[in-house]
Amino acid sequence: MTDLAEHCGQFCTELNAAWAIAKKDILIYYLKPNIIVSGLLFPLFMFLAFAVGRPAAPSVMIPGLIAITILFSASSIEPVSIPIERRMKTFDRLLSAPISLHTVVLGESLSGFLYSLGIAFVPLIAGFILFPTQIIGIAPLVVGLLLTSFCFATMGTLFAAYPTESPGDIMSMLNLVRLPLIFVSGVFIPLEQIPPIGQFVTFLSPLTYGNDLISAAFAGNTHFNPLIDILMLCIFILIFQFVANHLYKKFNE
Amino acid sequence: MYAIEALSLSKRFGDIQALSHVDFSVTEGETFGFLGPNGAGKTTTIRILTGITTPTEGTARIFGRDIVRDTIAARRQMGIVHETSNIYTDLSAWQNLMFTAELYHVSRKDREKRGTELLELFGLFERRHDKTNGFSKGMKRRLTLAMGLINHPRLLFLDEPTSGLDVQSNLIIRDVIRELNETGVTVFLTTHNIEEANLACDRVAIINRGQIAAIDSPERLKHTIQSVQSIDVAFDPVSPVRIEDLLQVPHVSEVRKNGDKFRLITEDPPGVIDGIMDYASTHHVRVISVNTLGPSLEDVFIRLTGLDIRTKGVKTVD
Repeated sequence: MTDLAEHCGQFCTELNAAWAIAKKDILIYYLKPNIIVSGLLFPLFMFLAFAVGRPAAPSVMIPGLIAITILFSASSIEPVSIPIERRMKTFDRLLSAPISLHTVVLGESLSGFLYSLGIAFVPLIAGFILFPTQIIGIAPLVVGLLLTSFCFATMGTLFAAYPTESPGDIMSMLNLVRLPLIFVSGVFIPLEQIPPIGQFVTFLSPLTYGNDLISAAFAGNTHFNPLIDILMLCIFILIFQFVANHLYKKFNE
Repeated sequence: MYAIEALSLSKRFGDIQALSHVDFSVTEGETFGFLGPNGAGKTTTIRILTGITTPTEGTARIFGRDIVRDTIAARRQMGIVHETSNIYTDLSAWQNLMFTAELYHVSRKDREKRGTELLELFGLFERRHDKTNGFSKGMKRRLTLAMGLINHPRLLFLDEPTSGLDVQSNLIIRDVIRELNETGVTVFLTTHNIEEANLACDRVAIINRGQIAAIDSPERLKHTIQSVQSIDVAFDPVSPVRIEDLLQVPHVSEVRKNGDKFRLITEDPPGVIDGIMDYASTHHVRVISVNTLGPSLEDVFIRLTGLDIRTKGVKTVD
């Protein structure tokens, strides 16, 4: 019983520390110009470039816009903040604090998660105001927003493990992954229309499951069972978290 | 129980052996200096002792806690002041302190009280709500030290705490280190400032090329090289005296010019004083002052690390 209480206490202190890291990032990085550009404007223009003029229903287009907005905004904070903190040597503060590396990764991911949740409301509200969209499932929308945001925030933290002091280095690598993901995840091209060889790749993309789950809230029909989407997003989160933890440890040696 | 125990610590980066079987211990309440030239292994040692890096071989314990296996418990005992003033310049002094307190699990009530005390102690309270990007180098350094003390550490790592600071910041930081030591806090101090180590430290370790060259109190280290004694002599400024001439004085092994004085290194001070007087008499120059000096900690450092500071800059002698 005492051990359990001790573990619970330790868990709470780690969560508090993770929240402190997230708050610090919110105060420092949310209004940085390069984060606004890569987190909000980039997905918006990307969407406009590919979606405007296509004969797709708003109930198909809006979930896609929300999904890629989350992809770009959630994964944009850490690839900027962590290299800057390496350069300023403030990252050493986190690495030498009495908290686990998992907590550092979690705290960093939390800030990207909260940022993208806020940003995701922009296309969500725009969809209501500008297009005749209707939400038919609140639960898949909420779960989809939460899991997709956290998944891509953790992916951003994972890429930021690369030991560089230049945000541009990480952004370049990240875009090599993020841009192809858009085209193989059913955002612009329905999954059914992707060739069989490409369909294999779609299963490896977390955006596929995020987009599918958010689509369930608007169109009501999904490619996968929503529970599969949830399960896959959870698996991706765990993989990203553990790989990120491993890489931060390895690159600190 | 020791505050720090380093047992045969080794660290290899690829082909480079950064540390090789480093052994030392620091007793509780001690101020322990860690000296060494650039690249000697000081930073690697601190990174291992603070759990940022793991050793390739050997173990380190902080108050009995293994830093690799029991990292968090060991870190809870320590405060760390890194070499660079690593503060968040987009945050205020208060926000920096509160963030550090949260990382170190200091309760809200305690962190606000402690934060106020520390800002007052370091003369930053009036500027507590200002963003720190407008702070001077000394103010940033003082804030870094305050952040290192927010959790009431039993052990404080200070990496070059006073390097390149203004006089006011220097004095404040030195006073705080002394007061900390008086209250029983163990201080692990790395510094290039040998005089600072001489004045502040109970014991000093000199590390060179990844190995401990010597560990002892500053005074005992000086006694190990009694052969390095010196004489400071000042001549009348109007009298032209050249280093080459002084090197001809019997028993003088080396001459350094320090301001308006010459420092003559010797193993036989009385013989050299006679020689200087002879030289002054034959060359018709006036001696203003003569002082004999024992070996300094700097002499010990130079002797043990094989550094040659006679040339400009510092170079390693193989």
